Amino acid sequence: MKSHILIQHPKTKKPLLSIVFFIMALLVLNSGFAQAQITKSKAQNITIKGLVTDGKVALKDVNVIQKGTRNGTVTNDKGEFIFPVPLKTGDVLLFSYLGYETQMIPIKENSTFIKLTLAEDLIEMIGALDPDIPYKSKRKN
Amino acid sequence: MSTAQISDFKAIDFSKADARALRLKGENLNNLPDLSKRLTDGLYTEAERFRAIYKWVCENVSNDYNLYFKNKARRENYKGDSLKLEQWNTKFRKILFKKLLRDKRTICTGYAYLVKELASLADISCVVVQGYGRVSSTEIDNLSLPNHSWNAVKLNGKWYLCDPTWAAGIPDPETNAFSFQYNDGFFLAEPRLFAFNHYPIDSKWWLLTDGIPDFDTFLRSPIIYGNAYRNLEMLNGPLKMHHSIKRNETIAIELQLNKALEDRKIGFVIDSGSSQWEAKPYAITYDNKSLEVEHQFNSRGFYDVHLYLDKDLIATYTVEVN
Repeated sequence: MKSHILIQHPKTKKPLLSIVFFIMALLVLNSGFAQAQITKSKAQNITIKGLVTDGKVALKDVNVIQKGTRNGTVTNDKGEFIFPVPLKTGDVLLFSYLGYETQMIPIKENSTFIKLTLAEDLIEMIGALDPDIPYKSKRKN
Repeated sequence: MSTAQISDFKAIDFSKADARALRLKGENLNNLPDLSKRLTDGLYTEAERFRAIYKWVCENVSNDYNLYFKNKARRENYKGDSLKLEQWNTKFRKILFKKLLRDKRTICTGYAYLVKELASLADISCVVVQGYGRVSSTEIDNLSLPNHSWNAVKLNGKWYLCDPTWAAGIPDPETNAFSFQYNDGFFLAEPRLFAFNHYPIDSKWWLLTDGIPDFDTFLRSPIIYGNAYRNLEMLNGPLKMHHSIKRNETIAIELQLNKALEDRKIGFVIDSGSSQWEAKPYAITYDNKSLEVEHQFNSRGFYDVHLYLDKDLIATYTVEVN
């Protein structure tokens, strides 16, 4: 009988232990999951700061715009900006400054500070007038 | 034969796009992405979105003739010295962008650049085309340096040409100052007409499959004016500016109008160097917008022959009569 009980005992204990482990595991997993959720929601509200230069000096008044929206700001005297709206991974910031090549920077999970060099558009400036004045041949007089 | 022109968009009414451009008149250039968005939001076709941008630039940016003359003089001075020319270009580019941003004043490249920037921000493929413009104010027998910029734009997968500078306005005949006077003829212009006075450095921007002129042929073309774009589908001939004829012979000019002639008058102003007079055509043949006008020369001399449609100056030929 005793032996029987002894044999029985661990048998009855096993499911109990399993349940306890299962619950504990659930708790651990769940908290881990919650942790992941928090990290993800943090990643979706990134405050972006940055600095824009032409490679040498800071560029003031560069437009920094969230593509597809009207959210935006401009760089200050030191070329710095703090984007006014929190961004999430996958958003695109567009940097535009007349005479410089527009750049688009996608926001990544670890983006917090964007250091950007804008390149001048090396276009040759030319112009011709088209007046509504009749052509006059050059003549020898 | 090329068909990349405004007639591809007959079904589109641009009045909504034009109204949008008008509503944003006077806006500044401090925030190009925002301006581009406001010009194009809610316009459904690519052609309308581009139209709003192009029209806005034409109606809001002035041609700065002082900058133009300053640049022209420097470029002439430095044309044998590539280093000095390059240094000048760098300096002038900065001056020009500052002026465009602050005062909305520029020269050709600034117009074309701004159209390209605003279009690109609206996800429309658009490029600045650099090349030679040949008009009554430029040298016509010899163009040593590129002097003009315009745009090519891709709409519905096809490239088109337009010239925002020449579309924006002309010098006021009284004061010589720039005056806004929008000319719709330069919007998605017929490439074969465009080829009379736009020679692109990169030959792909002729947008012609055949009949691409070489530079000498280009320099020998008749001079056409802004109003040719307003009134013509094509100048069919003669394709050479200068003609040598004998007394009592005639010269015939063939035009394809973009709308019926109706009661508009076609005529010539002839300039002999010492005097100028109006002349009625010797003969007119007209059939379904196709027009041929002839002039007969009865005296020896060298003449500038200007063709007018009502008050619109269309083209100039030169004729030597022996």
